[in-house]
Amino acid sequence: METAELLQYVLAGLKSGSIYALVALGFTVVYSSTGIINFAQGEFFMLGGMLSVFFHGAGMPLPLAGLAGVLATAGVAIAFERVALRPRRDAGPLVLVIITIGASMVIKALARHAFGPDELGLPEFTPGPSLSIAGAAVERQSLWLWGLTLVAVLSLTWLYRKTKLGRAMRACSISHDASRLMGIDTASVVMVSFGIAAALGALGGLAVTPLTQTAWDVGGTAGLKGFAAAILGGLGNPVASVVGGLALGLLESLSVAFISSTYKDAISLGVLLLVLFVRPQGLMGLVRREKV
Amino acid sequence: MTPESGSAEIRRGLALAAVLLVVATVLAVPLLGADRYLLKVLVFVGINTIIIAGLALLFGYAGQISLGHAAFVGIGAYTSAYVVEHLGAPWLVGVSCAVALASAGGLLLAIPSLRLRGHYLAMATLGFNEIMFVLFREARTITGGNDGFGGIPYPEIAGFSIDTPAGNYLLVWGVALAVVLLAWNIVRGRQGRAMRALHGTELGALASGIDVVGLKVRTFALSAGLAGLAGSLYAHCVGFISPTTFGLEQSVIYVAMVVIGGLGSLLGPVLASAALTLLPYADALIPGLGRDVVAVLQSWEADIYGITMILVVILAPSGIGGALARARLTVGVRGAR
Repeated sequence: METAELLQYVLAGLKSGSIYALVALGFTVVYSSTGIINFAQGEFFMLGGMLSVFFHGAGMPLPLAGLAGVLATAGVAIAFERVALRPRRDAGPLVLVIITIGASMVIKALARHAFGPDELGLPEFTPGPSLSIAGAAVERQSLWLWGLTLVAVLSLTWLYRKTKLGRAMRACSISHDASRLMGIDTASVVMVSFGIAAALGALGGLAVTPLTQTAWDVGGTAGLKGFAAAILGGLGNPVASVVGGLALGLLESLSVAFISSTYKDAISLGVLLLVLFVRPQGLMGLVRREKV
Repeated sequence: MTPESGSAEIRRGLALAAVLLVVATVLAVPLLGADRYLLKVLVFVGINTIIIAGLALLFGYAGQISLGHAAFVGIGAYTSAYVVEHLGAPWLVGVSCAVALASAGGLLLAIPSLRLRGHYLAMATLGFNEIMFVLFREARTITGGNDGFGGIPYPEIAGFSIDTPAGNYLLVWGVALAVVLLAWNIVRGRQGRAMRALHGTELGALASGIDVVGLKVRTFALSAGLAGLAGSLYAHCVGFISPTTFGLEQSVIYVAMVVIGGLGSLLGPVLASAALTLLPYADALIPGLGRDVVAVLQSWEADIYGITMILVVILAPSGIGGALARARLTVGVRGAR
């Protein structure tokens, strides 16, 4: 295989990888402050794209429509946490899994009623011909994807390290009871975490829509891939989630290049199962989590 | 005769009467001239009963969530269809292969359950379902891919083909009743107590001398095998299968049925699965129901399932099974749930 061709596959892998990374960041944020795996995370990815298309169609300029889509998705997530999760906050993980699964069913079905069964698209953020890097073509939208992923992981790291909210979120990841005793409003922290996670997923859904279009049923696969990325990197660490996402994207793209495009999803999910069986703490995780 | 043994005898008599009543009702339905449409719908109810009884054992009793049960149904359906149509084997051989291969899949999935709990097991089984879905879609030489696998012959026993709706219905419901009785026996015995202990606390179960590894492996294999059995019945009664029937959404619906029916109950999930299966075909039961009402029910099916599931978990975590148990307590018949 020629270098340019290989580079093309690598760039394609990094492109889908950054989408997985954004969804994975959402899993990580919610997991860090609640210990919950949010099965509705993929639906927030879907909502981000669909709501932005809706606002764009209603006449808003693209940047405003995108912002509105992301914020509205965060609003849906906060409402979901408040109405459906908080009443059973103290129940075991199985109950919380069931609630988030139920939410993903409902969000998906309502999206089909609201936006119809067809695929929908958005214009590129900055239209123009593809750029060329060493003979390989790069869509301008890919640069947006990489940029947004970078901004997301940097802001999250800053949030966790430097802000009061971030410190409160980290405290909650250690112990909710102790955090409450230190005067942290844990209920608000959980709610904000859901909002941030949904916004991250929505950002991914928004940024990818000009490239691949979106539809009411894209959430399931996106959620599964995002979770695989989070697990691959190590759940609970933003940088690890991004590394996991990019690694998963590369793996898929290279399996298309060298094995077959037919089974690329099966291969990436096979990796998820393998990591879950062999090294549940992920490639970059150091401490073995008690929950696993 | 002590009062205890007297009440036990009454209870046994009541249980026998209930079983006979159900059998009589099942037999009476085709004799009373139910139409083909109703019989076909009832075949779906019977098939889902088999799947849900198996999932109730695994998830409701043993507390091991599986978001991959539609994949086991698919394994059973494709195996049986392939063995019978392409290899020319009799149906009973097809069913046996279906059950064997689905059970083998269950064993495979039992391995993560030995290490993973709760969230992680749910995701692992979900991933398994998606991988199988890709295989159903892409292994075209065996499965026919997205175009589906058609022309599957009707079930046949000793050269006698069961090719009428009434025959299909009686076959499926006969198997379903046997499966429910089997599951009932399991949950009332030593295995059932071990499962409940495992659901409560795995460490506690281990400390009480329960072979947790063996129990998980056996329950996964049994539950998957029952799903494979149901898959074979589905393939041969409907005659056509395609990947969409065995996707993630369907697995989620099975879990919803068990949750709405109540974790730790057998009758509850079976009733819930019957109700939820009948919902989109309400016009088969209520003849006067307009097409538009049915269309609304069908298009809002997923919303209704999802919202009901969340409401049950928040407001009535013991589901239908819990309500039944409470009702039984208030009428004064004591008994194990």
